[in-house]
Amino acid sequence: MNKSDIKTERVKTDVLVVGGGIAGLTAAVSVKEENPDADVLIVEKQTTGYAGKANKGGGVLQYFDLENTTPESFNEYHANAVAGYLSNQNLLKKYVGMNNILLEKLESWGVKIPRKKIPTGPFTYIFGVDLDITLQMRKTATKLGVKFIDKTTISDLLTDNGEIAGAVGYSILDGTFHVFEAKKVMLATGSQDYRVAPMWSCGRGDGIAAAYRAGAQMRNAEFGNFAQLFRKGSNRECVFGEQVMYDAYGENITKNFRRFPEADISSTAVREWYNQMQAGRGPIYLHPMESESTKNDTMMFYIWDRPYGLPFWKIDFEKGSSVDGAEGEEKWEVVPGFVGEQSPVKVDEQMETTIKGLYAAGDVCYGGSCAAGAVPAPPGRNRGSGILNAVFNGYIGGIEIAKSVGNVEFKKIDEAKVEELKEEAFAPLFRKEGVSAIELIDKIQDIMCPVENSVYMSEHRIEKCLEKIEKLKETAKNLKADDFHYLLSCHEAEAMLLSAEMQFRAALLRKESRGWFLREDYPNMDNKEWLKWIVVEEKDGKMNFSTEDVPINDYQVKPPMFE
Amino acid sequence: MIGTRHRIEFYADKCVGCQICYKACFVDVIRWDIEVKKPVFKYVEDCEHCNYCEVSCKRGAIKVIPDFGSQSFRQSFDRYGKNRRND
Repeated sequence: MNKSDIKTERVKTDVLVVGGGIAGLTAAVSVKEENPDADVLIVEKQTTGYAGKANKGGGVLQYFDLENTTPESFNEYHANAVAGYLSNQNLLKKYVGMNNILLEKLESWGVKIPRKKIPTGPFTYIFGVDLDITLQMRKTATKLGVKFIDKTTISDLLTDNGEIAGAVGYSILDGTFHVFEAKKVMLATGSQDYRVAPMWSCGRGDGIAAAYRAGAQMRNAEFGNFAQLFRKGSNRECVFGEQVMYDAYGENITKNFRRFPEADISSTAVREWYNQMQAGRGPIYLHPMESESTKNDTMMFYIWDRPYGLPFWKIDFEKGSSVDGAEGEEKWEVVPGFVGEQSPVKVDEQMETTIKGLYAAGDVCYGGSCAAGAVPAPPGRNRGSGILNAVFNGYIGGIEIAKSVGNVEFKKIDEAKVEELKEEAFAPLFRKEGVSAIELIDKIQDIMCPVENSVYMSEHRIEKCLEKIEKLKETAKNLKADDFHYLLSCHEAEAMLLSAEMQFRAALLRKESRGWFLREDYPNMDNKEWLKWIVVEEKDGKMNFSTEDVPINDYQVKPPMFE
Repeated sequence: MIGTRHRIEFYADKCVGCQICYKACFVDVIRWDIEVKKPVFKYVEDCEHCNYCEVSCKRGAIKVIPDFGSQSFRQSFDRYGKNRRND
């Protein structure tokens, strides 16, 4: 291939939405409803409507019964039991308070929500949502006049004097290089999941990396270490049931696991698996029949009327069961699976990043928004909050964009920068020798996956991981791609390295354990030193770290020492 | 996961060329051959066995066959070694 074979196309739009999952679709629809005159374009590296994670999971929405629960009462529980006092409590209360509005919005956009509530923890319930949620949203967006470009990835963002000016990217089908000029950009590209767990596989952090390179600040990068239990044979996730874990000698190792009202899924169950295995008491089993919530693990398929999703869940269950054995067996061997869910793009309460005019929504900024505190993005510890938080962010950000976009001019595009970014983006295609993206990702996964590296950490282990990451950064300079599919994989591999480095370096700084974050060498929460958010940004080509104090005195709930 | 060996079977005679499998793949395993109006399973090594292509195909032209044994969460104890009882 010759460089001259690559065509360039220029596209001008008032609003550019990067990512066609539930957050991007919500933002696009919200802008159009509020300001029908604004041109809105969604650019998605796969196909909008099918892309993202909202249609791959269990199809659940977090629900607050606001007749019996107030934002204040949920916040009190959440700050103490889940967030470790690192949440932006005002933003969380806004999320809870808008629950009914968001559900009504979704329904008005054609999404079917069977409204039968199931309790999931103190103060919380879930509603089902059918898996055609994003297809319905694409239909609604189309009707409102939103435009789409599919199979095109955004490789970098363009700025002009610290304000957003647009983005560049390329078609993964024929490589056509795109230069997008936009007054406002909404980043909705999902979290960093390192291609490990199947349903999360599309979260590859390329949007996080683009924002970082453009100079945006990141926050809570150390909370990108979600893991949960999976069945050993099929790698199907075990939803609930961590309190019925047994060692190989038949002893219940998590009997007293839930010490106080506990949200679902906790890193302490993963730590327990590691400790027992380390002590030679593995393998570890889950006894599903001893827990109400795991007794019938197909119950969730049928409890709501969801005709679109049902065949997907059924086929997944059937194929998995063929290696796991018949349903109802007495014990399941379980292994923690690393998922990741790093979501560090820092946004304010209007979802604007630290780059003026660049907004973010959904799993790209779950941690960066601080709404949920010391936890990774959902499942995090708020089951069903993944989709609803994306809708919350997309709606708020969309309205903000709609209101202001009419008063803004297009910024200047730095043509020299565009050429430089094009050269960099396509470089792996023209290397004769080099390493493939798959070889690099394989090595990154070997570093990230063991739970003693990413979930139950220590200074020694983090430093070892960082040594390996530094070596891989050298390797990554020789990434080679045979075509545009593999070129995208190269850029994703680079984004994974960046995320991993941010995560480990921030984790090294946080010398304490808090919420999901567990250090073997610092087992206690340190409210004197670490009631802080760690902020990461690129300065002069280097990864720079600073901290922000949590404005705890402005918040409703304070840790005991502040009472 | 990478390094897996999932397989995809395609029955071309059942395919009506609707493109849904191509659109439904969220990780770019499937490309579309415009000439013959059929999917091309070009990057099968990237398949995550989400089963969306199989279930979305109303004609039953696609079957995804996962190789669960080729998946691993890469835990230090994946192979258990001395930590596994009865080994």
